[in-house]
Amino acid sequence: MAVNMQQSFSIYPFDPPGDVAALRAEVRAFLAAHEPKLGVPNCWVVGDPEFSSALGAAGFLGMILPKTVGGHERHPLERYVVIEELLAAGAPVGAHWIADRQTAPLILRYGSEEAKTRYLPGICKGQLYTCIGLSEPGAGSDLAAVRTTARYTLDGWRISGQKIWTSGAHMSHVMLALVRSEEGSERNAGLSQFLIPMDAPGITIRPIIDMGGDHHFNEVFFDDVLLPEWAMVGARGQGWAQATAELALERSGPERYLSSHVLMTALIDAAGPDPDLQIKGLIGELTAELWTLRQMSLSTAAKLAAGEDPMVEASMVKDLGNSFEQALPQRVQALVDCPSTRDDDLARLMRALLIAAPSFSLRGGTREIIRGIIARGLGLR
Amino acid sequence: MSEQRALLCDTAEAVFAEAATLGMAPVEEAGFGQLLLAEADGGFGGDWGDLFAVLRIAGANVPSMAIGEHIVGQWLGGEVTKPYGAFIRVAQAAGAMDAALAMSIDYVNTRQQFGKPLGKFQAVQQVLAVFAVEAAAVNVAGAAAAAALDRAAGDAETALFEIACAKLRTNKAIGQATAIAHQVHGAIGFTREYDLHKLTGPLLDWRSDHGNDAYWGNVLGTKVAKLGGAGLWADITAR
Ligand SMILES: Cc1cc2nc3c(=O)[nH]c(=O)nc-3n(C[C@H](O)[C@H](O)[C@H](O)COP(=O)(O)OP(=O)(O)OC[C@H]3O[C@@H](n4cnc5c(N)ncnc54)[C@H](O)[C@@H]3O)c2cc1C
Repeated sequence: MAVNMQQSFSIYPFDPPGDVAALRAEVRAFLAAHEPKLGVPNCWVVGDPEFSSALGAAGFLGMILPKTVGGHERHPLERYVVIEELLAAGAPVGAHWIADRQTAPLILRYGSEEAKTRYLPGICKGQLYTCIGLSEPGAGSDLAAVRTTARYTLDGWRISGQKIWTSGAHMSHVMLALVRSEEGSERNAGLSQFLIPMDAPGITIRPIIDMGGDHHFNEVFFDDVLLPEWAMVGARGQGWAQATAELALERSGPERYLSSHVLMTALIDAAGPDPDLQIKGLIGELTAELWTLRQMSLSTAAKLAAGEDPMVEASMVKDLGNSFEQALPQRVQALVDCPSTRDDDLARLMRALLIAAPSFSLRGGTREIIRGIIARGLGLR
Repeated sequence: MSEQRALLCDTAEAVFAEAATLGMAPVEEAGFGQLLLAEADGGFGGDWGDLFAVLRIAGANVPSMAIGEHIVGQWLGGEVTKPYGAFIRVAQAAGAMDAALAMSIDYVNTRQQFGKPLGKFQAVQQVLAVFAVEAAAVNVAGAAAAAALDRAAGDAETALFEIACAKLRTNKAIGQATAIAHQVHGAIGFTREYDLHKLTGPLLDWRSDHGNDAYWGNVLGTKVAKLGGAGLWADITAR
């Protein structure tokens, strides 16, 4: 049986510099001081500007950004420790989440000087929020089909078109949008990224209410919106490569398996110190999956921090994390008696997550698209 | 991977290939039994990460051979107990799953139906992606359990949490992965003639060995229930 013994996913040690235990203790002390706000299910979509400002003031945002723009020049893995702690506690991190996770690193890497000085300090303070303008009515999984245009004129860039499913557009200050900057270009050529202030004349934001009754995402319309030249991010026509790099950041984090951790906590608390065999079995199995996901996510984070591009690994974490989080409320429901009249923590969190769970394998790239990326990594495409 | 480990793996590949026809003798002659023994005691001075790497290769090449029991038994100076046995099976499964995945990919890239290789069909690609993710989970879980054993200087009681997690996760993965391996192989994979069952047969057996899902679920669930909800996260991050 001659086989290629390349490991399908070799683990990298997670070796952040500095005193990790002290950093965790710092975050836990901060969280303890904000107790009533915690325990939120699906917590990285729930925004609380007051909480975000407090996090910024405590030095937990913009951790990897330079001090010159208000950042803290910490190691990416120290940032990882902080977000793990926030998510595990169910902290309402939704307001600043996208800005801190992906827009800030992208602006730092590709943005103009003007964009850096204008936006990064506010992001570090937890007071400037951003949203992602990728999807359009005709461009979902097929993202290269975007049609929103940027026309180069004597005054600057003119943006026209529409984005959809934009999370948090209504509470964001800036959108990072992928648009077609070359007339007549097709597919992933001729696209550029722009930073669009959400209060610019010509922008209309319309809420889309989700099936849980919450206002989370939106439609955004651009009617000849005028932007200065510095609003373009990176090189003209390089938007596709930049957007894909951004997606790697979006897919690898602990939010792919920890956003529902509060249900796990509630399950264990409700079970008490000596539950029956079936409940013990469920808790054991869920713990094994959680622990394994964490090892995978940590390892991927270590690769990212080392400057590698673990696209396939990040996709594996997202796929497995999505499946774990989607199954969690259903497995609790199957074993714990939670009639719809029951109204304690466990029942409330379970119901909220049953409703939220379908979105997990949609946002950030659907399950099918993610598995296509993994299949390409296996040499099948 | 240390240089020593790379060398060890090369040796293991060669020795286990021989063992496939000659049995345990080449393994004993090559001195794998001394892998974990200290250099001062005439051993190789290997760590648990080395053992994981070697048993992965054993799992892929000579899945049914009790190489892990041989190595750990020498180190313990007696029968392997459940936690060590569970770790051994996880390591073997990591190798056997990667081998079965490699066989499956190879097969769908070769076998043509409807005028193209099966691997070009999206349905086939999607299930193999699931297989790869499951194999990845087992590999990570095994490596992390090995790291825990190294931190604990080989004391399985101290590393019991990680071993339990790894064995439970592996058992889950085996169920999905073996089913997919057989599905994409079609009828040929169901024959005595074809080698797939030499991997999937042992893989399925290993789920029962040294504690099945119920056993480890109970061990882990008991521990975690005592920790309490917040205690679980505190415990995981303190390891
Ligand atoms: C909660 C939530 C928040 C979101 N936030 C944002 C945001 O902030 N910004 C933003 O730009 N977008 C956002 N999105 C949009 C998200 O990125 C898209 O929903 C996603 O890319 C899929 O596009 P679609 O909904 O048009 O589905 P479609 O592309 O129409 O797909 C429908 C189904 O068909 C499958 N499918 C499509 N193509 C293929 C194929 N080639 N092979 C196999 N199967 C295929 C898909 O996997 C899916 O299951 C958000 C979505 C959700 C649910």
